[in-house]
Amino acid sequence: MACIDPYQVDVPQGQQLLTVEGLIHTGLGPHSITLTRSDTYGSVFEGLVRPVTGATVVIRDNEGRIIFLTEGQEARGSYFTPVDFRAEIGKSYTLQIQTADGRVYTSLPERVESAPEIENINLNTVTVPVEGETTPRSGVQLISEINDPADQNNFYFWRISPLVYVLETRPDLFTPRPTPEKPDRIPEPKPCCAVCYRTEITGNQSLFIAQDDNFNGLTTRIPAGFIEDDGLRFVNKLRVDLRQYAISQEAYRFLRLVKQQAEISGSIFDPPPATIRGNMISLDNPEEVVLGYFMAAGESSRRIYIDNSDLTFNQIAATIPDDCRVVAWANVDPPVDWNP
Amino acid sequence: MKKILLLFLFLMGQGAWAQTTAPTKREVIGRDIGQLKGIKISGRIIDEISGEALVGATVTVPELEITKITDNNGAFELILDRAEYNIQFRYVGYETIDYPITAVGDGRISIRMLQEDFQLDDVVIFGRDPEKNIRSTDMGAITLSMNTMRELPPFLGEVDIVRSLATLPGVSQVGEASSGLNVRGGGVDQNLIQFAGAPIYNPSHMFGLFTAFNADVVNDVTLYKAVVPAKFGGRSSAILDILPKAGSVAKWGGDLMLSNYSGKLSVNGPLIKDKVSILGGFRISYINWFLNSLSNPTVKNSQANFYDGNLVISAPISENNEFTYSYYTSYDDFAFASDTTISWKNTAHSLQWKSRLTAKLSLEALGYYSGYDYGIFNQSGINDFDINSSIQDLGGKLFLGYNFSETNKVVFGGEYKQVAIQPGELIPTGPGEEILPQKVQDEAGREAGVHFQHEFELGEKFGFSYGLRYDTYQYLGPRVVRQYEENKPVSDGSAIGETNYGDGEVIQTYDGLGPRASFRYSFSKSSSIKLGYNKMYQFIHLISNTATIAPTDVWKLSDNFLEPQIADQYSLGFYNNFKGNIFETSIEVYYKDLQNVVEYKDGATLIMQNHLETELIPAEGQAYGVELYVKKNLGRLTGWVSYTYSRSLRRVITPFEEENINDGEWYASNFDKPHDLTLIGNYKVSTNTSISATFAYSTGRPVTFPEAKFDYSGNSLAYFDSRNQQRIPDFHRLDLAVNFKFKGEGRFFDGDWTFSVLNVYGRKNPFSIFFDDAQDSPPQALRLAILGVPLPSLSYAIKF
Repeated sequence: MACIDPYQVDVPQGQQLLTVEGLIHTGLGPHSITLTRSDTYGSVFEGLVRPVTGATVVIRDNEGRIIFLTEGQEARGSYFTPVDFRAEIGKSYTLQIQTADGRVYTSLPERVESAPEIENINLNTVTVPVEGETTPRSGVQLISEINDPADQNNFYFWRISPLVYVLETRPDLFTPRPTPEKPDRIPEPKPCCAVCYRTEITGNQSLFIAQDDNFNGLTTRIPAGFIEDDGLRFVNKLRVDLRQYAISQEAYRFLRLVKQQAEISGSIFDPPPATIRGNMISLDNPEEVVLGYFMAAGESSRRIYIDNSDLTFNQIAATIPDDCRVVAWANVDPPVDWNP
Repeated sequence: MKKILLLFLFLMGQGAWAQTTAPTKREVIGRDIGQLKGIKISGRIIDEISGEALVGATVTVPELEITKITDNNGAFELILDRAEYNIQFRYVGYETIDYPITAVGDGRISIRMLQEDFQLDDVVIFGRDPEKNIRSTDMGAITLSMNTMRELPPFLGEVDIVRSLATLPGVSQVGEASSGLNVRGGGVDQNLIQFAGAPIYNPSHMFGLFTAFNADVVNDVTLYKAVVPAKFGGRSSAILDILPKAGSVAKWGGDLMLSNYSGKLSVNGPLIKDKVSILGGFRISYINWFLNSLSNPTVKNSQANFYDGNLVISAPISENNEFTYSYYTSYDDFAFASDTTISWKNTAHSLQWKSRLTAKLSLEALGYYSGYDYGIFNQSGINDFDINSSIQDLGGKLFLGYNFSETNKVVFGGEYKQVAIQPGELIPTGPGEEILPQKVQDEAGREAGVHFQHEFELGEKFGFSYGLRYDTYQYLGPRVVRQYEENKPVSDGSAIGETNYGDGEVIQTYDGLGPRASFRYSFSKSSSIKLGYNKMYQFIHLISNTATIAPTDVWKLSDNFLEPQIADQYSLGFYNNFKGNIFETSIEVYYKDLQNVVEYKDGATLIMQNHLETELIPAEGQAYGVELYVKKNLGRLTGWVSYTYSRSLRRVITPFEEENINDGEWYASNFDKPHDLTLIGNYKVSTNTSISATFAYSTGRPVTFPEAKFDYSGNSLAYFDSRNQQRIPDFHRLDLAVNFKFKGEGRFFDGDWTFSVLNVYGRKNPFSIFFDDAQDSPPQALRLAILGVPLPSLSYAIKF
């Protein structure tokens, strides 16, 4: 009865607003700050969000120390700290930007709090039915087990590292085309590459955040990540690092608005659109709107290897007939620290 | 659109002249074959409007001194000699018909009788008196009888009170799945909905797809949208007064209705013959089969249940004293995709005593209890919890009326109530201690009001009504109240301390005088002009971020941060009836000023929020409009056209620039729909078949479009700046229904079949337009339509 479908509307011409996305933390570097410009919110190809290149980006701490960031050679618009840079607990940091056209921007200071350890990662297989399909979508939810400190108000944000997982080919299916010389269809697997290790950079599609209002001081479990089963990832073993950040209350409020908007479902109970204001300001023109947020956070992280038997529901494995190296970012050698 | 309008106007013109029910000259009955004696004349008496048989009507032939009584089918038979007679047809509550005949042979007579006094009751919107709309000093008081509502196409098989009201000028709804009413630019919480005198907080089933009142147990519904009588108070926009039926003290009977979505049964009769009557009603849905048959997997796994029940016991213990007890309950639960259940329940008890102390002095006393319980139950397997909330009202009212004469009346009285709100209690239900139990501080308050009203006429031309109501309200402890730094926005960051208030201690007091006045000048018996003003106070606020009443909403009492809502309304109206009250027309203009309406900070957290003051911003509101109304009361074709042009605006100016909304300019409220047109027609094809149609058109409601698209954390996000600057596409919908009264043998076969189709041409009227970067599709605008297809329903109703 009720339905949701795309609808053509005339959206106002979009403003080209500077957008800042960045997180520095106490973990291993380099940390990155990405600068882009917003554009028209419209139909498919309208309004391309473009990187802002050639800016001078520095981070300044409350003791006056300045860290220069350098723009990536390939990742234009992304600016990286030196590899050995780590944010320190208790310090405050501000981000300062001068764009190529000379405009100057700064963030409000962000203070680094320490992040509680991830005591354990629990797994939970999730299935979501899909309209018109017999097999549901599925995946694994990562649940972080934490001992929340009772003496403070904690705000959590989780990200996951690139996934590394084993690819398996199906050499038994690889049969060469029959020729007069070889009329029978005996499989001829290549000796080189039946098993590969693939490294996949994937964003967490949803935002995982929490505040301890209703679990302050408890040992608790909070959903902290989700990896969708696409038929390749959970064929054998998958490795992922779960990163837990202690963010500020303002950063939490910002991310909550982002999450709220990213998760609207079009139900009659959806909240009205909210203005997502960040912590960046223009020093030249206080009226200028700057989007995004610069965060500084404490990090704790935990590595987990997920075996396909840990899942209670598996997608049908995608078939890689012969050579697993044909899959992008796949390598026959495991990463040096592969240690399931 | 234009064609439909023309069609309606054409239809309205047809049958404009009502048939007379009694012949003006003597009618010759029968075929003259020279018969002198034993002439058999049979006939049947039916209600002119409803077509129902009148059982127990008397047929008198004065010349022969014989009287017959009609049977279960309204039929009678007379044996006469060849002569002239003046037959009289009588029925309690109906106009007597004198029917002169000359009987010359066997024959038949068909009689249609009209209800007396309120002979137009069945179709008249403005009260019972055909000229009441002209003569009374009331402004904007609309009474809909159940019979009127039955003439409208049913919604999902049933008469729907809230939707029927929304067809009237100045009354609208946000969309197809919204239970509340927006009356003259006011929010849904600004209407006091009372059932048998007790307030009801959630008037809906299934998030507004159904109204939570069973039409079979309702007698009538009155909506006060302009000058509200001084005896009502507590809400700032309108009063919706729903009165239940009383059972019969003479005989047992009832109604049964079955549709493909729900079924209902009501039974009434004498508990003690001629002394105490009882009426019980129950309605239940079996909509699950319907949800499960849909292809959308989320909806398919959803469960919805609702029921409502009524009990009315009335005891007219003497000619001048009557006690009535009413019990009402409604229940809903909705399990969305089976891991979160939402449920809500209304309960209301009321006991009323009406007494005529002397011929001129009357008294009415009423005590009530009303409870609204609602909850969210999470059974997802991780951090399971229940959140329970409730509101309880306990109150009493006393009115005294003194009639100096028919045209000079005084009503005065007082009212007191206590309100207790439990805004939310979170109880972990999973194994282990993973989340903390949480409780938002309970709230308590009390309200008292005294009022008087004087209504009088000066000659035929002038009518006056003036009244005054004094309301006082106290916000009570126990409560811990925060203090905030001055000259800073109220937020968690600006809190500087707390004060503890003890049980029953007064934290804050508000009071105010609410004058009400109206004036009428009649140009003639059929036309008048009226002027009105009133002021209303409201001490409870619906804190909701959505466009409809939801069980996730929070009700909040006024406290030291949130001041009472105050509304001032000015109205002017011109009323004219034509052709002996067959046509009623009116034009009303109003202006309303609202203070302390609630607006929300961006991304406000409202559920389980102990410091709501940090999320709310007081706003001012303004509403104005013109309402046109043309109604045809009699004839084969009845119906009305109502058109409203109105605006409902909001403005937020605070001392802090960052908290202002839209830079402190006026902007459209969420339910601002400037053009609103409703066309309603009911055409009687024959005495047992009728067709009804409703066409509604309104401007799309405001929506906020993004100013830009930006990327953050892998999501394409929309940047919104100014609220409600664009609109969703216009709304229009046509509903049709055919009603067929089946006349069979025996009382269980006299049934009504109604087939209706909502949204005949299947328009996907958007409930909302929203912007989303969903997985597997580009970021884009999407439309949510509630009724995307024509929706048929079939129902069968019998009276027994």
